[in-house]
Amino acid sequence: MSRRQGETILIGGEIEIVIAHIGRSRVKVGIRAPRQMPVVAQEVKLVGEENHAAAQPPSAPVLQAILAQLIPGSHTFSALSDEGIVRQDAGDKN
Amino acid sequence: MPETETTNFGTISFAPESVFEFPHGLPGFEDRRQFLPVQNPATAPILFLQSLEDPALCFTTLPIWVVDRHYRLHVTEQDLEILGLPADRQPRIGDEVMCLAVLAIRKAGTTANLLAPVVVNLKTYQAVQAVSPETGYSHQHPLFPQEAAAC
Repeated sequence: MSRRQGETILIGGEIEIVIAHIGRSRVKVGIRAPRQMPVVAQEVKLVGEENHAAAQPPSAPVLQAILAQLIPGSHTFSALSDEGIVRQDAGDKN
Repeated sequence: MPETETTNFGTISFAPESVFEFPHGLPGFEDRRQFLPVQNPATAPILFLQSLEDPALCFTTLPIWVVDRHYRLHVTEQDLEILGLPADRQPRIGDEVMCLAVLAIRKAGTTANLLAPVVVNLKTYQAVQAVSPETGYSHQHPLFPQEAAAC
C-alpha cells in the first residue's frame, strides 16, 4: 500500500492511521485507536522487557565486581557530583 | 518517618519528600509509581531505585555520565510535560534533572539502558523513563566494552 502525506489507512472499523508528515528521514504518523488498545513505539516494548531483566539487584559479589571495574575510571566520580544526587552519604567513598 | 519493607535492604525508613514519582510507572511496570532512591556509600555511585509498592522490585542504576560521559539526553515533548519542564528545549542534567541508566546484569555481562534513561525533575521528583528512539542509543549498552568483546 502506498500513501501520500495527509492520507489515511483504516484497520478494521476502529483504527485509523494518518500519514501526518513526511520528512527527509522521518514520518510522522497519527493513530486513532480505541482507548483500551495501547499504541506505543516498538522500543517501549523493548524497554519493558529490558526492565523485567533488570528488576532485581545483583548479589553483593556481583555488585562488588561491577564497582571494581568501574572505579579505575576516575572521571566517574566527578560525573557523580555533577549529577546532583543528594541522598544519604553519597561521595563518602573510601 | 515512614518505613517500607524491602526484599534487598530489609526495613528502611525514608523521608516522604525523597520519593521519585513516576506518574505512568515504567515500561513493563506501568502500575509501579513510587520509587525510593537508595544509595549506600559502599556501593556508590550505584543508585538503587526501590519500589514502595513491591518489596522485591528494585532497579540498579548509575548516573548516565558514569556510563557515557558524552551522553546526550533527548526527552520527548510528552515526557517533558510529565516532568513539568519546558517543552521547547532539553533539560540540563545535574541542574534541572537527574539522569540515570538502568543496569541489567546478565551472565554475558552488564549492560546499561541508554535508550531509555530514568529522568527525574530535581525540584519536584517527578520522574519518567524517557524512551528516546531518535537518539540511536542501545537498550543494552555494554558497561564494560572489553568484557563484551571477550564474550
